[in-house]
Amino acid sequence: MEPLTSEMIMVMIMIGIAVFLFIVEWVRVDVVAILMMVALPLLHLVTPKEAFVGMSSNAVISIIAVIIIGAGLDKTGLINRLVGPILKIAGTSKSRVVIAISITVAGISSFMQNIGAAALFLPAIQRISKSTKIPLSQLLMPIGFSAILGGTMTLVGCSPLILLNDLLEPFGLKPFGLFDVTPIGLALVASGLACFILLGRFILPQGSAESAEETSQSPIENTLIEMGEIYEIQTPVNYTDYREPVLVDNLKRRYLVNVLAITEPPDFKVLSPTGDQEVRSDVHLLVYGRKKDIQRMVEVEEMQLKEAPVIFKRETEEGASGAVEAVVAPRSPLIGKTLREINLQDRFQVTPLAIYRGEEAYRAEIGDVPLAVGDAVLIHGEWQRLQVLQHEKSLLFTTPVDVELLRPEKAIFAGFWLAVALSMILIFNIQLSVSLMTGALGMVVTRVLNIDEAYQSVDWRTIFLLAGLIPLGIATEKTGTAAWIAHTILNIIGDVQPIVLLTVIGVLSTIFTLVISNVGATVLLVPLVVNMAIAAHTDPRMAALVVGLATSNSFMLPTHQVNALYMGPGRYRSVDFMKAGLVISIVFIVVMIGMIKLIYGV
Amino acid sequence: MAIITISRGSYSKGKEVAEKVASRLGYQCISREVLLDASEHFHIPEMKLVRAIHDAPSILGRFSHGQQAFVAYFRCALVQYVKEDNVVYHGLAGHLLLKGIPNVLKVRVIADMDDRVRAEMKREKISEEAARSLLLKDDEERRKWTHALYGADPRDSSLYDLVVHVHRLTVDNAVEIISHAAQMAPFKTGKQVQKKMEDYGLACQLKAGLADSFDNVGVKSEYGNILVYARGNEHHVQRVRKKAREVAREMSGVNDLEVHAVQKLPLDVV
Repeated sequence: MEPLTSEMIMVMIMIGIAVFLFIVEWVRVDVVAILMMVALPLLHLVTPKEAFVGMSSNAVISIIAVIIIGAGLDKTGLINRLVGPILKIAGTSKSRVVIAISITVAGISSFMQNIGAAALFLPAIQRISKSTKIPLSQLLMPIGFSAILGGTMTLVGCSPLILLNDLLEPFGLKPFGLFDVTPIGLALVASGLACFILLGRFILPQGSAESAEETSQSPIENTLIEMGEIYEIQTPVNYTDYREPVLVDNLKRRYLVNVLAITEPPDFKVLSPTGDQEVRSDVHLLVYGRKKDIQRMVEVEEMQLKEAPVIFKRETEEGASGAVEAVVAPRSPLIGKTLREINLQDRFQVTPLAIYRGEEAYRAEIGDVPLAVGDAVLIHGEWQRLQVLQHEKSLLFTTPVDVELLRPEKAIFAGFWLAVALSMILIFNIQLSVSLMTGALGMVVTRVLNIDEAYQSVDWRTIFLLAGLIPLGIATEKTGTAAWIAHTILNIIGDVQPIVLLTVIGVLSTIFTLVISNVGATVLLVPLVVNMAIAAHTDPRMAALVVGLATSNSFMLPTHQVNALYMGPGRYRSVDFMKAGLVISIVFIVVMIGMIKLIYGV
Repeated sequence: MAIITISRGSYSKGKEVAEKVASRLGYQCISREVLLDASEHFHIPEMKLVRAIHDAPSILGRFSHGQQAFVAYFRCALVQYVKEDNVVYHGLAGHLLLKGIPNVLKVRVIADMDDRVRAEMKREKISEEAARSLLLKDDEERRKWTHALYGADPRDSSLYDLVVHVHRLTVDNAVEIISHAAQMAPFKTGKQVQKKMEDYGLACQLKAGLADSFDNVGVKSEYGNILVYARGNEHHVQRVRKKAREVAREMSGVNDLEVHAVQKLPLDVV
């Protein structure tokens, strides 16, 4: 075996620093990746060209193309239109709800980012939980895990698999095809779901049963299904006579009614008025609230409720404004801030109406509630204003806001270019990045989305995380560090069966992905395990595949973004993830190794 | 058409003033009834309640959870009385317990120390020294009590609308002044004030219902929309929520109930 060189020690120190920073999160993971990109060439561990080779890698180009294709599908409203029918199929039985939504979420996350698929269904699941009295904690975990597992169904489903072929290239190993992993992914999703259906009773928290017990329908029960509606009302001519001044805020606090717009004499309209705006005599108000609240207000305040909006007819038309649910994403800058601090009203001229947290709806004084990951905020405003808010990217929108810019008529083009990309990969065996970029370009050319929208949809955090960590992989390989560690480990464990080696690699990848990001784990482990496999006379491609798949085996801690998103609403504790996650993780490794043996006959 | 609270030390003729004001205005005069009501309603022995409410807090200057609960019960009973309007309450800290109600005329009746000592000597048949020491101790206890609960010193005149020193002014003079003040505009009960009183009543009722299981909760209400603030983690808040709903189901006039988790309780809560 080669002796340990000073370069190898340097690389190991850099790996140590990266792992340390990943765990403590003093800086964001993508910044750690950029740090590596810069530090490695400065330390002469890679050449300057190698340091930035990640930017032009197939993985990065593929991810950019996948994101653009996903955005294109999103623009045509295809994915969002799935939600309604799926909920109908799901019905009210717990198993059916879990199976129907899980399979859909898994399917979506096999070709777009897992977190997006998970966020899309969150508010709908919350409503189902409330209306069917199935505790949210029993629904979210199976569905969240399915979103993660769904990422293993295609080679573009999650970042580690997208990276895999690039990491194999230096070894001259044959790349994997788009659907090579599909049988394994399907088996993983199926086994995960089966676990929850069969063992759910034992592995899912039984908590929040109290909400299931509450059957009485007294007026104080907050129900998510009881959404509000928009009404137009008018104040009488003598409204301000013999009455203390009434402010917009007063109506909100006294009747839980939100004023969306108000007229101001002679004929001005104020949209999303601030709380200190006075409600004068003979003005028209556009309000949002539950029917019983509106009726109470109209009665007490002696206002007149109109059958349909007249003054605000134009503003309430479907193409002009509406209400959307936006979910607070993990790592969102809004976490811990109150709506008052965020000040949506002034900055975007939109009105927050309610906050949905877990099984609760907050309507009163929502301005003072500090936001948490997974909170869904119901926001009303003009579509254009909502779009601006969406572009800020601090909230994940679950309903498309750009209705006027939504292009359902382009759905056929979006579908066509997706098919073109897929057939280029499958039939003509053209490289992943080229095929996907063709699909993305096709969508731009056929105006499914314009080029600026395509640029804007790209998530630079993911790009730099991928591109920045690739040189670390190169350095590990080039300096012989990977080979050295591989040999050292093999010397310790001695001669092993290929299947045992793959299992060990699977377990190792699982542990790595729990503490450092899945991309980090893949980049560090693939060169290592390929060397180990070659030395142990096992198929190195399979060893790499195990890493690519097992880095999605992130269930035991709420470190995966999807788990972090669902943790708050489901009121899960870390111990809940450990309990269910341990079972799913073991099943994951067994099924994965079993399927690899079955298909590739290792 | 008003609520009058009369804060007094022992032997400062406050009781006499209160009773005379009530009879002159045709109001109800309450004091001890509140205690009896609270003890009956919440099944607490009266003595226990009296001690919790009169005794100064422990040496650490903090109210025990039990004491806080008793205060909540007492306030709840008191608010139910004053909601009826036209009430004179004399006794402990009425002005503080009712601080959520805007039209309360807050009066403090004080008397000269020597007069108080003489009155106590006469009634208890004790020496001057003993009487003085008892009075000082009693005043100190009450000061500590209000300080622990509200961070206020009962001797601070800014807590009151009116401080009447019964010395050169006679009891009848005091009664006249207070009765006159009670009829002034700020103390009239309008529609808004009535709403506020009802809301305050709801908040106190819910708080009393939560008091024996949870401390560190604050309650407020506006037009029947009750908002409970609870400190602690999400599981704790969920327990508060469950209990609050149980309590609210038994109450009338509740339109909506929400329980929010907060780091720090807002200032304007019960």
